Amino acid sequence: MLRIENISKYYKMGEVTVKALEDVSFEVKKGEFVVILGPSGSGKSTLLNILGGMDTPSSGKVYFNDVLITNMTNKELTMYRRKKIGFVFQFYNLLSTLTARENVELAAEICDDSIEIDDVIESVGLSERIDHFPSQMSGGEQQRVAIARAVAKNPMILLCDEPTGALDFETGISILKVLKNVNIKYNNTVIVITHNSPIAQMADKVIKMRSGKITDIIINSDPIPAERIEW
Amino acid sequence: MKNLDKRLFRLIKLTKGQYIAVLLIVITGIFVFTAVKNSALNLNDTLNDYYNSTNFADVFVTAVSIPKDISTKLIGEANIAEVEERLVFDTLFITDDSDKKVNVRVVSVEAQEDNINKLFMKSGKRSLTSKDIIIIDQFAAARNIKVGDEVKLQISGRQYLFKVSGIASSPEYVYIMENEQTLLPEPSEFGVVFIEESYLMKIAQTNGNYNELVLKVKDEKKLEKTVDYLKSYLDKYGVKRVIKRDEQLSNSMIHEEINGLEKVSQSIPVVFLLFSGIMLSSMLSRIVKKDRTSIGVLKALGFTDIEIIIHYLKYAASIGFVGGLVGSLIGTALSGGMTNIYLDFFNIPMLTIKVYYSRIALSIVLSLIFCVLSGMWGIRGIIKINPAESMLPEAPKKGKRILLEKFKFLWRRLPFSWKIIFRNIFREKRKFVFIGAAVAVTCGMMIMTLWMNDIIDVMFIRHYNEFSIMEYNVVFNSFKDKKTKMEVEKLVNSSVIEGKVELPFEIYNKDKSKIVNVIGLEKNTVFYNFKDIDGYDLELPDEGILISSNLATFLNVNKGDKILLKNFIPDKDDDYVTIKGIIKQSLGINGYMNIDYLNAKFLDIGIINGVYLNSKEDVESKLNSIKNISSIQSQNDMIGIFEEFTGLIAVTIGVMIIFSGILGFVIMYSMTLMSINERTLEFSSLRVMGFTQNEIFQMIVKENMIMSLLGIIIGIPLGKYLVDYLSKTFSTDIYTMSEPITLQGIIISIIITIIFLILAQMMTYVKIHKLNFIDSLKSRIS
Repeated sequence: MLRIENISKYYKMGEVTVKALEDVSFEVKKGEFVVILGPSGSGKSTLLNILGGMDTPSSGKVYFNDVLITNMTNKELTMYRRKKIGFVFQFYNLLSTLTARENVELAAEICDDSIEIDDVIESVGLSERIDHFPSQMSGGEQQRVAIARAVAKNPMILLCDEPTGALDFETGISILKVLKNVNIKYNNTVIVITHNSPIAQMADKVIKMRSGKITDIIINSDPIPAERIEW
Repeated sequence: MKNLDKRLFRLIKLTKGQYIAVLLIVITGIFVFTAVKNSALNLNDTLNDYYNSTNFADVFVTAVSIPKDISTKLIGEANIAEVEERLVFDTLFITDDSDKKVNVRVVSVEAQEDNINKLFMKSGKRSLTSKDIIIIDQFAAARNIKVGDEVKLQISGRQYLFKVSGIASSPEYVYIMENEQTLLPEPSEFGVVFIEESYLMKIAQTNGNYNELVLKVKDEKKLEKTVDYLKSYLDKYGVKRVIKRDEQLSNSMIHEEINGLEKVSQSIPVVFLLFSGIMLSSMLSRIVKKDRTSIGVLKALGFTDIEIIIHYLKYAASIGFVGGLVGSLIGTALSGGMTNIYLDFFNIPMLTIKVYYSRIALSIVLSLIFCVLSGMWGIRGIIKINPAESMLPEAPKKGKRILLEKFKFLWRRLPFSWKIIFRNIFREKRKFVFIGAAVAVTCGMMIMTLWMNDIIDVMFIRHYNEFSIMEYNVVFNSFKDKKTKMEVEKLVNSSVIEGKVELPFEIYNKDKSKIVNVIGLEKNTVFYNFKDIDGYDLELPDEGILISSNLATFLNVNKGDKILLKNFIPDKDDDYVTIKGIIKQSLGINGYMNIDYLNAKFLDIGIINGVYLNSKEDVESKLNSIKNISSIQSQNDMIGIFEEFTGLIAVTIGVMIIFSGILGFVIMYSMTLMSINERTLEFSSLRVMGFTQNEIFQMIVKENMIMSLLGIIIGIPLGKYLVDYLSKTFSTDIYTMSEPITLQGIIISIIITIIFLILAQMMTYVKIHKLNFIDSLKSRIS
């Protein structure tokens, strides 16, 4: 489904060139739960942004269902994000002036084949707090809304940037469970980036990164359920 | 409703203070535009309808003596379609109060309906028999004259009793002024009456001759040709004036007002819209900056740049639409009332108030386009927002040393809070320049408004207390020898008396000409104090002429130039005269010559047609019996009229002050609010450090204070510029606004500006106390 070929990304900072990604290649299959694991500064967020069409690589190619996305125009990338991708951010990034339901609806409004809102809300376990504004919700609740918002678009890939990074252990586990449920229920690909290595235990595939390079790709034949993870 | 639109409504609710502030300025701008423009249109339409229904003349001719059969000779010649002869003269209206000399203008009319300048009957009947009289509405109302009453006029030295058969309005006397020098109408002191022609001719003993013609032309575009023809053809009948409808006194006064309204409708709204545009643009740019992460999220979700831009533009468009709609509706509603006030002032008996739907639509479209364009400028940063980067916390502002820090000696001595203040001002130059500009415009407009208030006062005081200082101006009904002056002298115990000649001339400089009254004065006259435009005293020259500055500007002449004075008196020559000086004169447009020089050159030696005098006695009652006197004008009367007039002006001035104040208040309020909203993190840090809310508020006030001070300093020359502009734009034949701004005016303007600014700051104080600074230190929710 996703084919990444020799992706590199450089930033110019004054006279110094920073290599955020260097010659990264891997593949992701439909319905896979992938964890990209690496410490802070390893380039995983840059990689996620490139996969989501939010950033472009300095070199290399990214194919989505055999369509090259790295030479798409801004407009085409927007349509790619709109129709194929769902984002979940570390700090939830909900629109503060919309209620939880409205945040979810907002995403569904711009897609042709969105999922029934109530169904998605139920999937993330938020039916009771759905008419609350983000400021009236806990971090875990906000992250559930963010997942529902991403899922409601019925994306083929769910890209999650440190989804548990701002949450306590128990809430983090509950969010991972939601992600796994969504992965199973809607059969979409989920890519989670994290620096938290125990999370890798629930992935079908683990891509380890350090200093902008892939250090290892592990196929996990026996992923464990989220509730069994500990950190 | 789409969820993005819901977000828009909540965004408006969240920023309601600033939203309402900008909306208020847009509404004010559009309201002024619609109200004033519609009033001008209504007034113009009403006037045109009135003129059409009464067949208002195109040309007015005054001559010494016009024979009865002239109309048949003129019709068909030089574009002339209709002609009516008439007899017009000013005479005494006899009242019970012998102390008061009341004049009326007697106009001969047909027994039935006239063809030109038809009367508009308010009450009574139009048809007249010998001893019937129709009285003009304003005069009848002021003197409480009703149909059926009897009034007495003195005509040719005899008193005649007339029965009032009707009260009417006349298109010729919409604004009743005795002459160009009076400026303000005083309906109880001067009126117009209409008497059946044959009877009036008989009692006025004119030997069947008329002294005026009113004409209609076939093609208004060829009016000049008609005027030239009439001047030349009627020369043998002693033509004094041939004036076009545009120059007719009442018509020109009302058109001055309409033009004034047009100018106001074009200038003031532009200032308001300009400021609202800058505010809106700056407000949206800050909202976009604050919404950076949300915009990034929207982009990440798959919203296109256009969709996001439209989302924010709807904010601007809503202000444009609501502002345009509310402003134009209020303006349209009030323009009816405003037109009515004008109609009362000008006495037009009919009223044409139209609702200009196209103008409402135009206002909305204009305001919409203006706000959307301003909004587009403000939100242009949306395109640059990269969704990936927008998720990261924004890099702190680049801190750099400001210019002031180079003066180490001074900088080191500044307290910490003042250092923050100066750094903020220098780092947010655009914002502070805007605040400064708003304060400057507010202060400038205040100065202009107060100057307008002063100028009316000063114009009258200058004219009647300093320039033309006679207590009484006595006008004879024809030229007399100096015996008449002695006759007056005998009757009135005057401290000083001088004979004068006041005569209309058409003054030419090349192709430019103007009909003005030239006044012949005694050498060393004590009644006029001439000053040149720089304020230096000028003597009345033995030869040559002094002319008022507005005449000099109109003719484009300077001291030393020669101008041609065309005489209207039959058999008298025209001649060139040298300009010996250009004088300051706030009311009227005139030339002044030595009476002996004027008489020798244009009339006969030793004649006068009036006197100026000073006396402690009641001159009006004493001179009532002299049949040669046509009018007596006292300075006290003029001051009385002026005092009534100032009441009317006060309302306008009040409205102007409020509008100017709103501008300063709203901009200061909303900019401060913006500042507070964006700097909550900075203020929170200061609160953590131990700063009190009052100390933080003081910092904001001090920042604004510095810019306000600069604004006020710039506002003074700006006010001067506005005053100069107004002087040039609004100076007419009737008045010349050449007075400088007074120090008192400047001080009061500054005080009023400061009051409005303090009010705005007090409003933001409430806001600061309501803000929970500590909350903003917690983790962010976009």
